[in-house]
Amino acid sequence: MGQDGSRQLTPLLRRAGRVTLIALPLLFLGLFFYYPLAGLVQSGLSSNTGFTLERLTRIFSDSYLRHVLLFTVEEALLSTLASVALGLPLAYLLTAYDFPGKRWIKSLTIVPFALPAITVALGFILVFGNNGALNRGLMALFHLSSPPLAILYSLQGIVLAHAFYNAPIVTRFVAAAWERLSPRYEESARALGAPRWRVFLNITLPMLMPALASGAALAFIYSFLSFPIVLALGGARFSTIEVEIYRRAIIQINYSGAAALATLELLIALLFTLGYLRLAARYARHLQLATPRPTRSLLTGPAGPRRWLIYAFIAASALLFVAPIAAVLLDSFSRTWQDQTVFTLDWYLAIFRPTYSSLIAASPLQSIWNSLSFAGASMVIALTLGTGLALNLTRRRFVGRSLLELLVMAPLGISSVALGLALLRTFVRPPLALSGHWIAIVIAHSILAIPFVIRAVRPALERLAPRLSEAAHALGASPARTTWEIVLPLIRPGLLTGAVFAFAISIAEMSATIMLTRPGLLTMPVAVYRFLATRQFGAASAMSVLLIAVIALAFVLIERSGERALRG
Amino acid sequence: MLQRTLAAALALALGLSLLGGWVGPAAPAQAQKTQDTLVVYTYSSFVSYGAAQAVAQAFKAQTGAQVRFVATGDSRIMLAKLITERDVTGHPPADAFIGVEVNDLGTAEKHDVFVPLSAKDIPNLADVPPEIQFDPTGKLIPYEHGFITLVYDSRKLSAAQVPHTFKELLDPKFRKQLILEDPRTSSPGLSFLLWTIAQFGDPSYLDYWKQLMPNILTITQSWDAAFDLFSKGEAPLMVSFSTDHAYDVIVNKSDRIRVLTLNGEGYRTIFGMGVVKGATHPQLAKELLNIVLSPEVQSQLPETEWMFPANLNATARPIWWQNAVVPSRPVELPAAQVSANLKRWIAQWVKTVLGS
Repeated sequence: MGQDGSRQLTPLLRRAGRVTLIALPLLFLGLFFYYPLAGLVQSGLSSNTGFTLERLTRIFSDSYLRHVLLFTVEEALLSTLASVALGLPLAYLLTAYDFPGKRWIKSLTIVPFALPAITVALGFILVFGNNGALNRGLMALFHLSSPPLAILYSLQGIVLAHAFYNAPIVTRFVAAAWERLSPRYEESARALGAPRWRVFLNITLPMLMPALASGAALAFIYSFLSFPIVLALGGARFSTIEVEIYRRAIIQINYSGAAALATLELLIALLFTLGYLRLAARYARHLQLATPRPTRSLLTGPAGPRRWLIYAFIAASALLFVAPIAAVLLDSFSRTWQDQTVFTLDWYLAIFRPTYSSLIAASPLQSIWNSLSFAGASMVIALTLGTGLALNLTRRRFVGRSLLELLVMAPLGISSVALGLALLRTFVRPPLALSGHWIAIVIAHSILAIPFVIRAVRPALERLAPRLSEAAHALGASPARTTWEIVLPLIRPGLLTGAVFAFAISIAEMSATIMLTRPGLLTMPVAVYRFLATRQFGAASAMSVLLIAVIALAFVLIERSGERALRG
Repeated sequence: MLQRTLAAALALALGLSLLGGWVGPAAPAQAQKTQDTLVVYTYSSFVSYGAAQAVAQAFKAQTGAQVRFVATGDSRIMLAKLITERDVTGHPPADAFIGVEVNDLGTAEKHDVFVPLSAKDIPNLADVPPEIQFDPTGKLIPYEHGFITLVYDSRKLSAAQVPHTFKELLDPKFRKQLILEDPRTSSPGLSFLLWTIAQFGDPSYLDYWKQLMPNILTITQSWDAAFDLFSKGEAPLMVSFSTDHAYDVIVNKSDRIRVLTLNGEGYRTIFGMGVVKGATHPQLAKELLNIVLSPEVQSQLPETEWMFPANLNATARPIWWQNAVVPSRPVELPAAQVSANLKRWIAQWVKTVLGS
């Protein structure tokens, strides 16, 4: 191709590229999110005679559903508080201190978020249950005849499990911001004699606010939409809206009733999303690029009572985050035989034996492969589409930008049960007859992941000093080149966080997957569920351990390879 | 450059997904249309414990045709799935359904799921006792039955400590000791609710439930979630099946789980199967139902389904009969009364037990 030709083509291509960057994600969301969603909302708001609000108003006149609504808000608020109370100190420890294996622990902080709820419920029952390790330990220690702690099957059990899930989100978001915070302001304030707590409250915390608000908002929305955890650890007396949607849609064959509840749930979740977007925009500031923050050794750094406070906090966190996973690990190696608990490898041998495959209608190896490839595909799609949207949302000002923002963040407010249901009904008939195809599952996972990618990438983009791009421009670099060579490397942590979240959401997703799956497309969480449903508790634990191992390995690999690729 | 790269990646991703979409669904649709494959919807444990394999083998030997079981959930979820898919697409996704619990007869009837069957369609029905033939319209054929009772953990409670009547179950010493299933989502849970109605009458059963509340640890969504908690020692009492002791003895070589028949009673649960209205292969479906009722398949049900076979000619090992409990007084409400009142009973239960 001649020089002249390409020079004429470039602006055209550039424009086409820019349009594609925004049009393709919107097309994707339009086809696979808004089109199915419209059908859902329509069912919720119509009767034989046409449009009606009757189904919605009936929700409020039903005393039981009012009770469910209030409980959902209550548990979501408490869960958010608990997640922040745990996540913020953890982020501090990860930022201010050095300790052996810190890199690994940082990679692994997100593991809890990626665990399927049934595995977490299993771990929680084994540790915090009436007959769990904690109660049995206390009974043996203090010679008690009955379990002293009633933690599960109540509101606090649900809140604790939600903190297990969501505190890592808060930690992740806050630590990413904290590391890039210039220590200069804090140092000046300290030099001027301000006590440590005032420096934190008046200087550090406000600068961390966008990240903290992001994390807390996600924790709220996630707890608000929580479903299997509430079912497993709360039981029927602690129902959320999401549980009711599931009940109506999947068991009571009341699709329009479920659709009405899903519409209401979506409205509430969108309201929170909107409020949060406002909040985040108000606090957004252009921060300095990082000068490395000083860190101290965790082993020798803190002194006096402070040291014991920190160690006690670490012990409590270990009990919450590590003990349930360790308990599932132990459980997978033990079996009850003639009323004795003995060590065994049977469960691992069993899940790899071909005869076992009929139990879950697929071989475990295949479900591992399915989970990994679905998660990989969803990660690529969500990261590409999400980053494209984030670049547009951050850099350009245009009419309707906040509306666009709300539109692309809306999947955050959709329950995965409702999404699975809407997709199922869309996919069984033309024009989108994807039913039974693997891409249907990948689409559902990508939709759920896109807002997380945007959420992870945007704060990094907003922190970027605009003069960097301006300088590149002035030196003659094209916008594309600026993005590729300046912007993307600088938002590396955000991109990695986005990738990890997308992967995590896909590999842990069960509520929508279980509706869209068919025997050959089984994923690991669904396999765990199938084992549990047929009294194969040992096999379920072994499969959970396999899943945890795969997730942990994948996270470490993604982070390491991502760091290397983007650094080079 | 980046934008072009991103755009290309996007176009590729979307192109692939659309391409996959057009190519994809052809495969399962074709498989369904293959002439000699019968599609059967059933609950997951029917497949995973092995009963389905016995049926498939006998079916192939007798008819030369294949059978494909679809079992992605428990029985009520699968029935709802069948109805939903039929309503959305306009044609039923299966030829036969195995696993409608007697109390879901009303649901099946309301949604017009099954066709009536005559005695000559299913010759083996002649060996099924009339007292478990629960469907007066002759659409659903019983193939197994059992009893809902309490079971207890003999490691936590001694035989001297356990309750023997509904009243004793209210004793404060059993505070948070009982695991129940949600009657809205679980068949054993619904059976227990109906049992209390049979016991105390309508609306006095609600008073009993109010008194029972402090002794309930949790009300789970499904039987298997409850059994998981019970197995892990979370509570010593659970609403379950009268065959659980046999299961524990035969599978776990253990004597931990024991059956408790309150007042000597157990609430009868019966599972039925039927030919789906609008089925592609109605004749093959009828043959399949007859095979499920054959003495050969029926004799495998005790130790795969952990239920009592419907066919009187079925056999089971002595160890099964020694340990599977048949309550001296089986209880059941008339099917017509259940169908007529079920919705109201459950709504009242939800209001009383959950809405406060």
